[in-house]
Amino acid sequence: MKPEDKGRVQVEVVQRILDHWTTDATCCEEALFDTIYHERRRLESEKNKSRARKEGAFYERIYHQALNGKSASHRQLLKEVIRFFSNEVLGHFDPRVYSLATRIIPTGLCLLLNTVSPLRLVETLQGADGLADQLVIGGEIEALRRVAKMGTTILVPTHSSNLDSILIGFALYRLGLPPYTYGAGLNLFSNRLIGFFMHNLGAYKVDRLKKAPVYKDVLKTYAGYTMELGYHNLFFPGGTRSRSGAVESKLKMGLLGMGLDAYIHNLAAGKERPDIFVVPCTINYQLVLEAETLIDDHLKDVGKSRYIIEDDEFSRPKRIFEFIRQLFSLHSTIHLVISSPLDVFGNLVDDKGVSRDRRGRPVDRSRYVIDAGGRPVFDAQRDREYTRELASSIGAAYRRDTVIKSTNLLSRAVFKLLGDKNPGLDLYRLLRGVGVEESFSLADVYRSVEDTLDTVHMLNQRGKLRIDDIVTRKDPVAIVSEALAHLGTYHRKPALVRRGDRLFHVDRTLLLYYQNRLAGTENGELA
Amino acid sequence: MSGASGKDHEGLDILVVGGGTFGTALASILSEMKRRVLLWVRRPEQAEEINSKHTNSRYLDGFELPLNLRATTLLEESIRRTPIVLIVVPSKSFREIARRIGNTAKGNQILVHATKGIEIDTFKRMSEVLKEETCALKIGALSGPNLAREIMGGQPSGALLASRYDEVATTLQPLFVSSRMRIYSGRDVIGTEIAGSFKNIIAIAAGVADGMKLGDNAKSLLVTRGLSEMARFGVALGADVFTFGGLAGIGDLMATCASKLSRNHQVGERLAGGEEISGILDGMTQVAEGVPTTRAVHAQALQMNIELPIVRAVHGILYEDWSCNEALIRLMSLPAEKELAVLSYR
Repeated sequence: MKPEDKGRVQVEVVQRILDHWTTDATCCEEALFDTIYHERRRLESEKNKSRARKEGAFYERIYHQALNGKSASHRQLLKEVIRFFSNEVLGHFDPRVYSLATRIIPTGLCLLLNTVSPLRLVETLQGADGLADQLVIGGEIEALRRVAKMGTTILVPTHSSNLDSILIGFALYRLGLPPYTYGAGLNLFSNRLIGFFMHNLGAYKVDRLKKAPVYKDVLKTYAGYTMELGYHNLFFPGGTRSRSGAVESKLKMGLLGMGLDAYIHNLAAGKERPDIFVVPCTINYQLVLEAETLIDDHLKDVGKSRYIIEDDEFSRPKRIFEFIRQLFSLHSTIHLVISSPLDVFGNLVDDKGVSRDRRGRPVDRSRYVIDAGGRPVFDAQRDREYTRELASSIGAAYRRDTVIKSTNLLSRAVFKLLGDKNPGLDLYRLLRGVGVEESFSLADVYRSVEDTLDTVHMLNQRGKLRIDDIVTRKDPVAIVSEALAHLGTYHRKPALVRRGDRLFHVDRTLLLYYQNRLAGTENGELA
Repeated sequence: MSGASGKDHEGLDILVVGGGTFGTALASILSEMKRRVLLWVRRPEQAEEINSKHTNSRYLDGFELPLNLRATTLLEESIRRTPIVLIVVPSKSFREIARRIGNTAKGNQILVHATKGIEIDTFKRMSEVLKEETCALKIGALSGPNLAREIMGGQPSGALLASRYDEVATTLQPLFVSSRMRIYSGRDVIGTEIAGSFKNIIAIAAGVADGMKLGDNAKSLLVTRGLSEMARFGVALGADVFTFGGLAGIGDLMATCASKLSRNHQVGERLAGGEEISGILDGMTQVAEGVPTTRAVHAQALQMNIELPIVRAVHGILYEDWSCNEALIRLMSLPAEKELAVLSYR
């Protein structure tokens, strides 16, 4: 956020939310007390004591004034609360910091990764410049560049790891695109150094422990209004890292809908360039830094899985170092695939920024939001459905542009063998390995890999997914060898180990995680 | 792109696409309510007959159409003039018509279809075809107990208009206000379309039961278990089970299975009388959607591993040379399951 826009955004965000929640006195009162309730509950478990005291005192005052106040003062108090939230959320962009950060990339990025001891990490990462070579950016790069000039873009990547936002930031820099506004977890700001970079690189703060609807409105309205002002936005529509390893299919509608909101506002304001383009993108790892924690969380009983995980691999510098070291020593590539741009209704957008229907005919997208008199109008129910259409198109793009790597393929092949050799065994017994033969002959594994390859190639030919170079070559021996080098080394417990002519499946939950990348595709039903 | 204007829709209230029995009946109801209606038909001589003689003798012989109902053969041009398009064409030609509509359709237009069938090759529902072939998103499905001849005879009826977009119902319902057709609204498009298509299969089975003179108990058994199959199948495809208890489900099933006016029922009755299916279809001027739908549903159920015994039996009669008696014996010899098993899927 440019300093000159900051005040304007602050005023507009507060006013819009206030207008939304104060249509009548009851609605305003409910919003106020509901927010106080949620915030007090949150503060009960706030670890930062000084923050808890300061914010606690703020809400105590608001609460007592609200109890004694009338509707006019409720509105004023709600405004105070909204302003309090928006002050915390508001990001900042400093071109000097951007220039500094991008010059020292990738070391700077690695530095950002380390939440505890940046210096130690830098010392151990001599020659880490290779990161740039290991990130392969592909897909509709030119289309992204073009639409970024024609209107505001929203980049919506898949989300597997906390490294995603850093890699995306790096990729955007390499593509010569301006920095994107994005919401970063409050915990990332707690480290002063990282917080400094985050704050000055366009990130706004998101405290996922804040549950009050008014707070969520602040985040959404902030994102939406920055889009109206022409700031490109980035967010993960899956909401959180994929726990199962599968490509996201259920997307969060709230933030996604702000693109449409901004578009209608822009049309109503008669802006010359009202368009908002949504660009899906997949990030594909051979190994995922936090795979063990994520799949473990996924397999916990329904309702017990955690939305926010603070004690995973990302919080342990040694694991990050180990991960990056593996990345280099195995010449592992991370594929970042940019999908074709979409409009906010889910239609594909061509080179000239024109929306196209599925038969390739041009679509006047402004028609979707006009009333009988030709004026752009909001309609909450209609707009939710439009956003659902968009989410559906994003989900389809994710599946199409997911790159299947050797680890995904071998995991799928071994998991299939496990299922075939143990018919009738449910997933959880299979994962525990009760009564399951502990290894397979390599010959069986190669056969299963060949079968899986056939399916994956067929899907690739139909344009339903992408495949990594080694998978293209259709050589089961090479695929198994490359996948084993990855699956057998980085994780605390290797997923697969080869001994002689047999392959031992040691950690079946990890196999499930990596094979789930194929979930949702034909014959890849597990998730 | 901008420059949008809704004013080019001032010419018409609604365009009905398809001059078969139901399309003409719907256009007639709306015309009687003094709505500005245009009926698109494929053949010029049919349009000429509707415009000059106010009859549609091929499909609704003996009925006089409202004087203000106009017909046209110009599809793309008519689409431009209307905010609402109501499509009532057989499923077989639906995609071709939808593609033509897509040539001029705009995002602010509402497209509703009343076609009770499934695209055979792809197992796509008609709303899915509309989404593939046009840029429209505000799409709805109209379905219910609507025997066209009863409608034309001035008798009351009702239908469900399902759409994910509330605007579709709020725009279309007023056009039917004070008419003899009550339009209810819902959001379950999948359930509405599956119910509308599936009931034609059960109607064939009911026709067979009538033709075999199996009695009312047997027919009731058939229709009720047919409803159960319909719901089981629909829920597996993402429908809401309650839709099958409404106008588009049990409502339509009751009318179609009881009435001699139903084309699908007639097919079943004639099959029971020993006629060949090819001969029956050759002699019909209108499409019996249940015949191709049986093939589509049977194939899909096999792929999804869903047991649908009545569909299986109708498929056997239509496509595998089973005698009606053989189908009955097979059905009656199946083990009885829990009656409301479908509810456990919710």
